[in-house]
Amino acid sequence: MRLYGRSKSLDDEQDGSINVSPLIDVVFILLIFFIVSATFVSLPGVEVVRPDAQTADSLKRNSILFALSAEDKIFHGGEEVQLPEIPRLIELGSKDRNKPVVIQTDQWADATLLAKIIAEARKIAPSVSIATRKPR
Amino acid sequence: MKRRAHSLPSDQAEINVSPLIDMVFILLIFFIVATSFVNEVGITPKYKDSASPTTENKPPLTFRLSASGQILQNGSVIGIEEVAPIVRTSHSDSKASILVQVSPGSKAGLATEVMDQALLGGAKAIKLSPLLQ
Repeated sequence: MRLYGRSKSLDDEQDGSINVSPLIDVVFILLIFFIVSATFVSLPGVEVVRPDAQTADSLKRNSILFALSAEDKIFHGGEEVQLPEIPRLIELGSKDRNKPVVIQTDQWADATLLAKIIAEARKIAPSVSIATRKPR
Repeated sequence: MKRRAHSLPSDQAEINVSPLIDMVFILLIFFIVATSFVNEVGITPKYKDSASPTTENKPPLTFRLSASGQILQNGSVIGIEEVAPIVRTSHSDSKASILVQVSPGSKAGLATEVMDQALLGGAKAIKLSPLLQ
């Protein structure tokens, strides 16, 4: 009896290994999901206090982000940029796919600078949005 | 069982899938890490730069933000909650495009709130323009 059991376990290890096909299936499905959902948004790299809004709705995920900090500095892709560079940066970031632009502005930033950023971005971007807090 | 498997090599010969699984797992982890679920909410003040004939005939409804944080409309100071009713009761031509003029020193938060209120009042397009002074 004991001998038989041992021989069976030996047989299992040698011949019948764990069936990995379902595992591979699941992993492939997860992989495809993450490939499809990957948008590779480069974050501006600065956290801002967004202004309130009542009409806010969700913006497109696949957009180019700029941030305007409370110290009136413009950020894109983790570093500070200057105002005239914005159309070139949008062109670089959109790669002929006409991505929309989202500006994350701090509520204490200067409004004239925000207006200038929007004017610069409108030269090339199909739509320019301002990120706000979620409406309550 | 074992003997039969030996006698039929095609039954037993399996591709070693371990490297494949390794590679797929590495790709999976890469995509999990690289995926940034950015979910922004915000307002989109659409504005077409090509001025339509209606906006040429009639000056657009203008809100002016002063450096001290006041909202001026037609020369008088108004509150933020009055913006939406003014836009709503205005002529449909001027609703098509609204101008928000911002003075140097006025805050972006207030400008955004004015645009938001104007959109709430039914504005189609809003232009934010800086005042040079």
